[in-house]
Amino acid sequence: MSEAQVTKSPTVVVRDPGHTAMQLHDVAVSFNGRVAVRDATFDVAKNRVTSLIGPSGSGKTTLLRALNRLHDLTPGAKVSGRIVLEGTDIYRGDMTVTELRTRVGMVFQRPNPFPTMSIYDNVVSGLRFNGIKKKSLLDEAAETSLRSAALWDSVESRLKVAASNLSGGEQQRLCIARALAMDPEVLLMDEPTSALDPIATLKIEELMTTLKERVTIVIVTHNMQQAARISDDCAFLLMGEDRAGELIEFDTTEKIFNNPNDSRTLDYTLGRFG
Amino acid sequence: MNDLTELDEPIEIAQTMRDEIRRVSNATRARRLMVSRVMTTLCAVTLAVTAVPLALLLYQLIKRGAPELTWTFFTKVPETPSLIAPNATGGLSNAILGSIALNVYASILAIPIGVLVGVYLAESMNKFAATLRVIAQTMAGAPSILMGLFAFSFLLQDLHIGFSAIAGSFALAVLMLPVIIIATEIAVLNVPNTLREAGLALGAKPHKVSMRVVIPSALTGIVTGCILAISRAIGETAPVLLVIGGGYLNTWKPLSPVSALPLSIYENAKSEWPSQRAQVWGAALLLVIFVFILSLTARIWASRKQKVSN
Ligand SMILES: Nc1ncnc2c1ncn2[C@@H]1O[C@H](COP(=O)(O)OP(=O)(O)O)[C@@H](O)[C@H]1O
Ligand SMILES: [Mg+2]
Repeated sequence: MSEAQVTKSPTVVVRDPGHTAMQLHDVAVSFNGRVAVRDATFDVAKNRVTSLIGPSGSGKTTLLRALNRLHDLTPGAKVSGRIVLEGTDIYRGDMTVTELRTRVGMVFQRPNPFPTMSIYDNVVSGLRFNGIKKKSLLDEAAETSLRSAALWDSVESRLKVAASNLSGGEQQRLCIARALAMDPEVLLMDEPTSALDPIATLKIEELMTTLKERVTIVIVTHNMQQAARISDDCAFLLMGEDRAGELIEFDTTEKIFNNPNDSRTLDYTLGRFG
Repeated sequence: MNDLTELDEPIEIAQTMRDEIRRVSNATRARRLMVSRVMTTLCAVTLAVTAVPLALLLYQLIKRGAPELTWTFFTKVPETPSLIAPNATGGLSNAILGSIALNVYASILAIPIGVLVGVYLAESMNKFAATLRVIAQTMAGAPSILMGLFAFSFLLQDLHIGFSAIAGSFALAVLMLPVIIIATEIAVLNVPNTLREAGLALGAKPHKVSMRVVIPSALTGIVTGCILAISRAIGETAPVLLVIGGGYLNTWKPLSPVSALPLSIYENAKSEWPSQRAQVWGAALLLVIFVFILSLTARIWASRKQKVSN
């Protein structure tokens, strides 16, 4: 039902609903009455990489965190508009926040493996939090997701070692594996390579292009080359006069970088500001 | 599209700026060196003022205490010296055993409650939590004789529990609680929020995140706080003075009267026998050794490499 409501809006890029993972309709987030981001209306296409780009402070992180209700914890935070996951409004619909978060995973800006857990325990932690105890199941999930995160070969022999022994890039791939172990439909990534060196960055970029076959990816990046390299669709955000971030343009990455509709998008992608 | 003339200017500005920085830097070098030297000297003096009295104290303690720490000291109960045997002080095994028992019982009482309250304070922001925090902070600053008085009037007078180890442990536990609560709260608050978010983002319920992510990550700080609480309690005299009863028996039973090292120090220091007054230094040294071992354990624990197994 929400799908019908959303597609009524003239600003939504209507796709075949079967090919849409998430729909955002007029989403705005404010903190204590101060708007941080607004006017976000676009579809996140299934099995594609959608990038959110824009200068620092334009609300990319804020918008991304609205997609798995991470603002629920912040007193004074308010999310308005509609965010729909496979037909269900994630804020008002018939879906618990726990279910939402098992379906929409997240990778953070800095690698944040659980420091008291081993590599293995980190990967299966989400399953355990959700009550899964069967060892064969956990073992299988651990291997599958570590393989998907291109980490299995280097950690297979030291699964019981503390996660803090891994390098920064490996820790971030461990965090990706941890999120993948839940078998999410959507994976949110907030500047996942900003704390990593170029080689580790490249590995994660390569990973994303293979991962999108099984999971829809939404990635925040302020690195435009990265957005151009890895994303299929692109949302450009910019701060308005009142310093609130707003969605300026959403389109395929190719269009955004080669032939955008808005002159501000062109200015940004050409590096004229920000 | 930019022609070169446009670029010339910024480079020139940068050059004058660099010259200016160099000029100011040279002009003030002598003064900065001077300030640096004065500060270094001040630091050295401050260090000496703190370290010298401490070193003297330790020297006295070891010099006078070490000879007292004999086999008899650890294995015999006290005796009263007499004119024919003025050095027959016996040992302080009863006080050692009593001190250990008191602190073990106090820890059993205080640690679980203190940790739970500390975690609760860190993770909740309601009025009740705020009130609890004020109570804990006030208790931390309250004079320790108050705990003894409280245990005396409540356990001994109201509940008619006689002089006993458990009454002393109760007083010590009340003393330890605020230390544990505050240390736990700080340790939990220091757990990076991104770890909580990582847990929640995996679909974990908040209490699961507390139990499985936050508390394990804060464990080092929590354990350190508990050890510090014990090392504070072990040397306390005032809270146990009124309620443990003393006595020369080697016992650890919760309901028996017990002695304790600080109590022995307090009593023997007033003795008319020089041999008993000398024994006090042995008890004092032993207490310091206990505290030293405890804080060493706390340090080693705090800096230990995380060894994780499944
Ligand atoms: N928890 C918060 N409380 C108050 N303001 C916040 C909070 N999180 C983000 N903001 C504000 O939202 C705006 C957008 O921030 P953010 O989403 O982090 O931008 P970006 O990720 O694009 O750099 C900023 O002005 C920031 O101050
Ligand atoms: Mg950000």
